[in-house]
Amino acid sequence: MIHFDTVFGVLVRSGVEFIVIGGAAATIHGSARVTRDVDIVYRRTAENLRRMVDALSPHSPYLRGAPPGLPFVWDEDTLRRGLNFTLTTSIGDIDLLGEVTGGGNFEALRPHSSPVQAFGIECLCLNLDKLIQVKRAAGRPKDLESIAELEALREERGKAG
Amino acid sequence: MAPLEVEVSLEPDPVIEAYKKDVDRTLLRERLKRTVEERLRDLTQMQAIAEELHRAGRKAFP
Repeated sequence: MIHFDTVFGVLVRSGVEFIVIGGAAATIHGSARVTRDVDIVYRRTAENLRRMVDALSPHSPYLRGAPPGLPFVWDEDTLRRGLNFTLTTSIGDIDLLGEVTGGGNFEALRPHSSPVQAFGIECLCLNLDKLIQVKRAAGRPKDLESIAELEALREERGKAG
Repeated sequence: MAPLEVEVSLEPDPVIEAYKKDVDRTLLRERLKRTVEERLRDLTQMQAIAEELHRAGRKAFP
C-alpha cells in the first residue's frame, strides 16, 4: 500500500526533481482506477541521483519481484548505470523512470507538467493530455480502459469549463 | 526530437472510443468534485481494501 503523503514528502524534502506519471497521475486528474504503485520520471543529473539515493536509502529500496539476497546496492553508481527501476520500499512500490516512450526524459516532460499541492507539499504532475499521449504511445492493451477513462475525464473537464 | 519523445496524436481512436462507452461518467463527475488530496487518500483506502481482500483470498483458497 502506498502512502502518497509519505512518498511525495520523502522525495520533496530531499529536493529530488521528479514528475508524477502513470496511475498516480491519473488519480490526481480524477481517475477512479486503483493503482498499486507510484511511477515517477526523475531528472538524471548527478546531483539529483545523489538526492534520490539519500531520499530512499532509509526505506530499504530493493528490486521488486527479484529473489532476496541479490547483490543490489542502492547508490548513485547503480542509478547512473541503469535507467528505469521498479522498486519495493518500506513506504510502498515506486517505479523510477529515467524516460518513457512517447514522452522522453524529465527535461522533455517538464513543459508538459504542472505543480500540484497535496498534504502540504508541492510536486510536479504530468498534464492530462501528455499522460494520455504517453499511455497511447506505450501501446499496451491493458491501458485501453485507462486511456478511455482519461479521455472521458478530459471531456468532462471540458464540459465543466 | 528523440525517438522516445515521438508526438502521439490525441485524435479519436476507434478502439478507445469503443472502450469509452463503458466509462462510468457519473463516478468521474463525483471524482472531479474532490480535491487532489482527497483523490489520493481515496486511492490509499482502496489499496488497503484490495490488500485485505487479497490476504483473505490467500487464506481461504491457499
